[in-house]
Amino acid sequence: MSDHSPDSDDALGARLRTELRRYPAPAYLRGSIAEAAEPPRARPGWLAPTLGAAATALLLLLASIPFLPRILPGDPTERLVRSVVAEHTRALMWGARRPEVMPTGLPWLTQESGIGLRKYFAGDDRLVFVGAEPVYLEGRRGMALYYRDGDGHLVNYTVLAWPGLAIPEARRVPIENRFRPALMSDSGFSAWVWRQGDLACFIVSDMVSESDVERFKDYFVRLRLSTDPVPAN
Amino acid sequence: MASDDFHRAALEHLDALYNFAMYLTRNPPEADDLVQETYLRAFRFSHRFQPGTHLRAWLFQILRNTFLTFYRLRERESALAEDGVPAWDAPMFHDAPEESSGAVEAHTDLERALRRLPEEFRTVLLLAEVEGMALEDVARVLACPVGTVKSRIFRAKERLRGLLRDYTKE
Repeated sequence: MSDHSPDSDDALGARLRTELRRYPAPAYLRGSIAEAAEPPRARPGWLAPTLGAAATALLLLLASIPFLPRILPGDPTERLVRSVVAEHTRALMWGARRPEVMPTGLPWLTQESGIGLRKYFAGDDRLVFVGAEPVYLEGRRGMALYYRDGDGHLVNYTVLAWPGLAIPEARRVPIENRFRPALMSDSGFSAWVWRQGDLACFIVSDMVSESDVERFKDYFVRLRLSTDPVPAN
Repeated sequence: MASDDFHRAALEHLDALYNFAMYLTRNPPEADDLVQETYLRAFRFSHRFQPGTHLRAWLFQILRNTFLTFYRLRERESALAEDGVPAWDAPMFHDAPEESSGAVEAHTDLERALRRLPEEFRTVLLLAEVEGMALEDVARVLACPVGTVKSRIFRAKERLRGLLRDYTKE
């Protein structure tokens, strides 16, 4: 027989059952546990072999890239312009590898590039001299001088020892009845290309629009008149 | 038991498990973590559950063992504290907030007295009296003989009565 006194085991048990608060599980907890209980969605049977085949094909393609023929311009001048533009792009993105201050850096630059400058364009109110560095393009040594104009365009004057570089006649542009450089373009950049003795000269910038061309001509004249590169040997 | 059936059956005991977790931890975020961890373990080891035995008792057993694992870990960490003072209010799980910030207060003398019981007494009363679990199932949860359960219930009630008397005198 049960003991019903307030202190009895039964009474205490009843108090525990009735007086203690019950804490129901919060809804978010129920949701997160139910979500964890859901089995992962089965993948279609064809997916694994297809992904495997695609991965194998990609690996084979990557492994064969070094052996694939490169798509390069057949014309040596165009190829050279592409290299000069690539170097200009690199300088535009990352800056010069080792910019030299002129004229103090000129002896070292001449020694490294094999090109001397009897005079060089030191900048004016339109173009500010940024720096100079030796370059090595298409297996030839050379020198690059960098300028920046008021609108932030980087202008790159590159000289390479390249005797007999062919200048495409169809692209020649007469400037001030004195010069006839070729205006070439590559990867969204414009380049003046001309020959100065045994040297190949380039001026590269991103000035490609109609309105930019006149200004680009002006920059060519400034640089061409004020810079006189010669082979150092 | 199929996986879906098992999950559904296990979720039916969520409220009871959460209630038990709240009385063990006294802290809602810790109770959340404890229940979540219990279910994760139950789902992971569902293949070990023997169909025909009591799922409810099995889940409570996992929850209590999980609690004790973390509780003992906390005790050990407290023992290693540099100042030698055990930090009883340190969170059971490392990413849970401090107990003081979210602890549930006891509103009645009964709750207060229950809190002061040692875990083994508190647990046996919660399972046998509050959850109405059969003594055999309580014995399964506590991993002890039924006789031990009976004796613990008796001693737990004795202790609880004494505490309640103290509160009445105050």
